[in-house]
Amino acid sequence: MKRVASTCPYCGVGCGIVLNVDEADRISWVDDVPENPSSDGMLCVKGRFGTTFVNHPDRLTTPLIRRNGNLEPAGWDEALDLVAAKFLEFRGAFGSFASAKATNEDAFVQQKFVRLVMGTNNVDHCTRLCHSPSVEAMLQQLGSGATSNSYSDYEDASCIVLVGCDPGSNHPVVASRMRRAIDSRGTRLVVVNPRRIEMCERADIFLQNHPGTDVAVFNGMARAILDAGLQDGAFVASRTEGFDAWLAAIRETTVEDCAAIAGLDAADLRAAGLLYADPPRLAWQPADWRPGSCLVWGMGVTQHTNGTDNAHSLLNLALLTGQVGRPGCGVSPLRGQNNVQGCGDAGCVPDSLPGYQRYEDATIRPFEDLWGAELSRDQGLKATDMVEQIAVGAIRAMYIVGENPLLSEPNLHHATDLFRKLDFLVVQDLFLHETAELADVVLPACSFAEKDGTFTNSERRVQRVRQAIPAVGESRPDWAIVCEIARRICPNVEIDPRQFDYEGPAAIFAEMARLTPFLRGLSYERLDAEGGIQWPCPEPGHPGTPYLYAESFPRGLGKFVPVRQGALADEETDAEYPLILNTGRILYHWHGGTITRRVEGLLDRVGVIPVAVHPNDAESAGIADGDPVMVMSRRGRLSGEALVTDAVQPGALFVPFVKLQDSAANFLTNNVYDPESRIPEYKVCAVRIEKKRERKRMEAAGEPSRP
Amino acid sequence: MSVRIDGREFPADGSILDAVLAAGIDLPHLCKDDNLPAIGACRTCLVEADGRVVAACSAPASSVREVLTTTERVERIRRGVLELTAAMGDPRPDLPHGPCGVQARQTFAAHAGVSNGLSRRERTAVDSTNPFFSFVETACILCGRCVAACQQLQHIGAIGLAGAGLATRVTPGASITFRESICTSCGSCVAACPTSALSPKTGGAE
Repeated sequence: MKRVASTCPYCGVGCGIVLNVDEADRISWVDDVPENPSSDGMLCVKGRFGTTFVNHPDRLTTPLIRRNGNLEPAGWDEALDLVAAKFLEFRGAFGSFASAKATNEDAFVQQKFVRLVMGTNNVDHCTRLCHSPSVEAMLQQLGSGATSNSYSDYEDASCIVLVGCDPGSNHPVVASRMRRAIDSRGTRLVVVNPRRIEMCERADIFLQNHPGTDVAVFNGMARAILDAGLQDGAFVASRTEGFDAWLAAIRETTVEDCAAIAGLDAADLRAAGLLYADPPRLAWQPADWRPGSCLVWGMGVTQHTNGTDNAHSLLNLALLTGQVGRPGCGVSPLRGQNNVQGCGDAGCVPDSLPGYQRYEDATIRPFEDLWGAELSRDQGLKATDMVEQIAVGAIRAMYIVGENPLLSEPNLHHATDLFRKLDFLVVQDLFLHETAELADVVLPACSFAEKDGTFTNSERRVQRVRQAIPAVGESRPDWAIVCEIARRICPNVEIDPRQFDYEGPAAIFAEMARLTPFLRGLSYERLDAEGGIQWPCPEPGHPGTPYLYAESFPRGLGKFVPVRQGALADEETDAEYPLILNTGRILYHWHGGTITRRVEGLLDRVGVIPVAVHPNDAESAGIADGDPVMVMSRRGRLSGEALVTDAVQPGALFVPFVKLQDSAANFLTNNVYDPESRIPEYKVCAVRIEKKRERKRMEAAGEPSRP
Repeated sequence: MSVRIDGREFPADGSILDAVLAAGIDLPHLCKDDNLPAIGACRTCLVEADGRVVAACSAPASSVREVLTTTERVERIRRGVLELTAAMGDPRPDLPHGPCGVQARQTFAAHAGVSNGLSRRERTAVDSTNPFFSFVETACILCGRCVAACQQLQHIGAIGLAGAGLATRVTPGASITFRESICTSCGSCVAACPTSALSPKTGGAE
């Protein structure tokens, strides 16, 4: 039995794990790590019991090349040669998705390849589909897109405001820490969500707003704070700008106006604002402690056509009340993937270099000096735009690493049609998923358990990932595959192939740290000796930074951005599609389910898509709890099982976006985007629900003609 | 600040148990979890401290001068506690990284199922409804670690101790199974269980 300390591969919480590996090189048990400051000795079901996917028989074990229409096993050299030749051919019409599940080192090498060898900034990752509006708004208003506080601040907070997220399902260990704060330390809780989530059991105030009305909710809270004179005038005066213009916008509506738009009781909305601005002093807090509030949000804020506006309205609240830059307060976009923070930090975004450094001479030059070539200063295409640009031939070849867009993009029928139009598609992953099935070449990658590296979690803690088992089949670490491809193309584009000769992940990390000011103090030596460290860590002796913005914001002053409530959503309900579909997550599955469908116990807990429907709507559609149902939108349909519950509002359905039994919510969702961040509107589309007819009748009637 | 343990000086950090374990001495401590405050229920970590027999988990090391773990008296009392614990049912202290210690393992092996003339607990439920772990009640020694992990670590409260005396049991609720309960399968109870009453279902993949 071998024990290997590593980091959980599931959500952005980044729990410490110890993989227990048996003689057959299989993970037999996963221990928690009491001394890990992020997870504090806890795990959830996925981290504890969900890592067996690494040995699943479906793992890809050799490269595959499409021959005569079929994907057939091939040798590494043949596959890499082919990929290199084709990428070179389509250089100039190339785009790449990086993986927020892979390591920082994988991500860094991939963006280096795209920028240096392919000569483009067309590299992006799944944050486009989750927190790009948060990052966009935070960069504009604060100058950094990261969570400002540590998880321990949730336990030091006097008030937590949870907006559009369900940590009990997707960030279970953060949920445990919040429950501990509420149960044992007296922390107050405000939940803002159209759906009654589990944490509502402990909420002091639950604002069950109409979907798409976040701006009204937060502008209303701001107005309530101003009416009561509870703004932090000193903070506004010394740390912010743009207050007057913002104030003028806020004064256009009253708390009552906002409550009416959001479908809330004005007294509740007012109370939530006052609680956030002026949370109570808790019994354990010393006399000189200023009680703080944490603002925590998820996809419910962002996955709307007004996602960036929603994020602005949230951040304005934090600036108005000075709830950042101290222990026990802060702004937290909860990150969904294990390394979604790190993938962005490492530069897998189309608008900036590693460390969110813009394409300006002063910041780009160190890269050019070290890499020995000039780099593009043009903005790259964002993930959703790369896909849409396939239609006009601007993108002809794609390299998709550790992502499955044909499960995660909206309106999947449309997205699949576009991917079929590509001249050359390479997919690098663990399993032959929906996107890989369309690929010209499939490259088998190692899982987190088969390689060394680092993940950066939601509280900016860079933590080690360590190899516990040998590579499955002929799979290789992502970074090593990218380097192989890069070295083959380099001579044709006058790049020194030695740019991709890395001894291993430690050398890659060292290069990334050298080029990224906020990581400069980090090294494998330090991480191995001290455990995870929170960036910014600008020099080797620096202890890391538990919370940001104590003295100033990266952009200098925090900036108020006036926003007004716009249209609630792109698509409206009508007689044919009378219900609003909301999508999200469940505890027992992971995003699209490519991984969790390969863990027997998780599938055993949830094997069919649960469709949450309000009792009133269920009754009028003749649906009972547990009935098989169909949900249809203008774009597609899914089959699931009715979960009749008043946790959803009348007129609303909730479906997790995991694909089970060939059904997935994203066949229904709408490919319309937030103009600034280009995030799709996953949270709202118009649907109807029907009880599924008996199979016999289906056969007799034939397939229904409408999609 | 130091404490003398079995004739050698060690730092008096944390509880007596912490100091003893840090000294590399094998002492059973069935109900003490690294993750949780001391429960003090199992009494298997008894030591002689300044002449008194105390539970090492529940006394600060700095409060005593001398700790002896192997006197005839404390060995006899500790063995008695372990034998009584073994008699509760059929504890299986076989987790590879369990906190049981050699003495506990040996005592359990020698005394499992020996009733010492006491009434045995009659609960023999087996709950395998959760896909990830099973609960075999005969192995449960009512140390309370699983309940503490569920309530005080994860703040879920899916399981509790119900009943009294011989009828005491760990349960996910009146006449419901683990699967039907609010249990989120986080496995903290399984990690905490010192006797494999709660144990992971399959070791390997699939």
